[in-house]
Amino acid sequence: MRYPSVIAALVIAAVGMTGDHTRAQQSNVPDIEGTWVRLDTVGAGSFGAVNALTGNAVLTPEAAAAAAAGRQGGGGLRPGLVADDNKPHAAGEPYVVTDGSCTLPGGLEPNSSAFHIIQSKDEVLIVRENPGLHRTIYIDGRKHPDLSRWRPTVVGHSIGRYENGTFVIDTVGLMPGGVPGGGRRTAETQLTERYTLSADGKRLTMTYTWNDPKIYQKPHSYQIVAERQPAGTWPFEDWCDSGDPTQRTSVIPPKQLP
Amino acid sequence: MVMKREITRALAIAAMALLAASAATAQRGRGAGPAVAFDPHDISGYWELSFDSRHVPPAALAATVTPAFRAAKRKQDEYATRWCNWIGMPAAMDATRPIDVRQGRREIVMNFETIATPRHIFLDRTTHIGKDVYDATTMGDSIARWEGETLVVDTVGFDGAKGLSAIPGGGFRTSDSHLVERYRLVSSGAVLAVTFTWSDSKVYRTPHTYEYRYYRAPASYEAQPPIWCDPFDEARTAFLAGPTLGRGGNQPRSPGAR
Repeated sequence: MRYPSVIAALVIAAVGMTGDHTRAQQSNVPDIEGTWVRLDTVGAGSFGAVNALTGNAVLTPEAAAAAAAGRQGGGGLRPGLVADDNKPHAAGEPYVVTDGSCTLPGGLEPNSSAFHIIQSKDEVLIVRENPGLHRTIYIDGRKHPDLSRWRPTVVGHSIGRYENGTFVIDTVGLMPGGVPGGGRRTAETQLTERYTLSADGKRLTMTYTWNDPKIYQKPHSYQIVAERQPAGTWPFEDWCDSGDPTQRTSVIPPKQLP
Repeated sequence: MVMKREITRALAIAAMALLAASAATAQRGRGAGPAVAFDPHDISGYWELSFDSRHVPPAALAATVTPAFRAAKRKQDEYATRWCNWIGMPAAMDATRPIDVRQGRREIVMNFETIATPRHIFLDRTTHIGKDVYDATTMGDSIARWEGETLVVDTVGFDGAKGLSAIPGGGFRTSDSHLVERYRLVSSGAVLAVTFTWSDSKVYRTPHTYEYRYYRAPASYEAQPPIWCDPFDEARTAFLAGPTLGRGGNQPRSPGAR
């Protein structure tokens, strides 16, 4: 009876290899799952210096005029902000920047919080550790929806695919607003992201390319690099309570060092 | 000759085994849900509750659950609702919208279309983060393992003072709560059966167990932003504060309220 068992097992194993073949076909799927933290290796101590990472977008004249109008207050404030926090304030001069609302909008690019990437069969999730909408990237073959029936959001509608070890994301349907490096976006603006893993799996390079002939004279592209956190890392809960008066505490700029 | 007979028998056994496997696959295709193959070890999908989804027996509460204790927890929950605090567990699992559950290699993430942080359930960790370093959260620290076709999720590290604390059937989430959930796909993968067992000697005389059955939403479902919660919406605040029927129930809302 030993032979039949062994041979039967071999036959079943051979048939079962069809599943392995499917997995082999997925070998171009990079293992980007895990906890990541954005690395900003350059900068000059201010938010504006982040543009050093992103370069300057080359806008069409119409988009440049709209961007200038936005900077002069025509663009509206992010939800939750009650004053233009870009105005200069003297040391010791307090100013209020939020109404205490905890409903931060979220966004596309990683911010100072860690973020998690989860790769499932039909979706890839990108989840920040602070409030706001999280990103859902469909990899089940669906198309973008008809934008005339889509309510724009800060994360838009994203579909993804794996291409030779790179995760490629295509996004439209974004809420109008700004883009790093002086760019702009509307619901029709197309963002392509390419996520590439380093050979040792510890660094993730995310290349962002914005395309919109109404806004950009040429595609606006920049990179952000993230570092993988060690196994066993756990997420923080960035607690925020709109009922807590300290949420509305004024910012008091300290005296700047020469 | 003997060898030939043995090989023939082996092939027959293999064929029978494959036929049995094929029949089992076909069997999984029947039942309440669509006739599709499913992996009993992958709970990914959009899952939603219906009117008949809850089986919740009354909890056996400990003597320490005094009227004063109940009043304090009710006040906490009213505060969390009033100020749009993150609701946490177990309220998030009672979502009125589909829950996006995505299973990766190392963790499962649950995204809620409500005011809640995502749940992270780690598959690559067998012990909880030590209390000395873990900052308690509304979702707690969750680790999971497979026992056959049941995913067992173990959660501690709750913050009992934040979010909605009420537990279905009676009792409250506290900082000492211990939750064990058992997830199992049934009805050909169309239903996700989840038993919740809460242990907390200050709240329960015996562990409190109830079961929810989530229905799988269509694969074409698109994740939606949460229903907006504006803590500064005066009409909402008035509604939460007291009955509106005597006042006509159709009060004007504050500017900008949705």
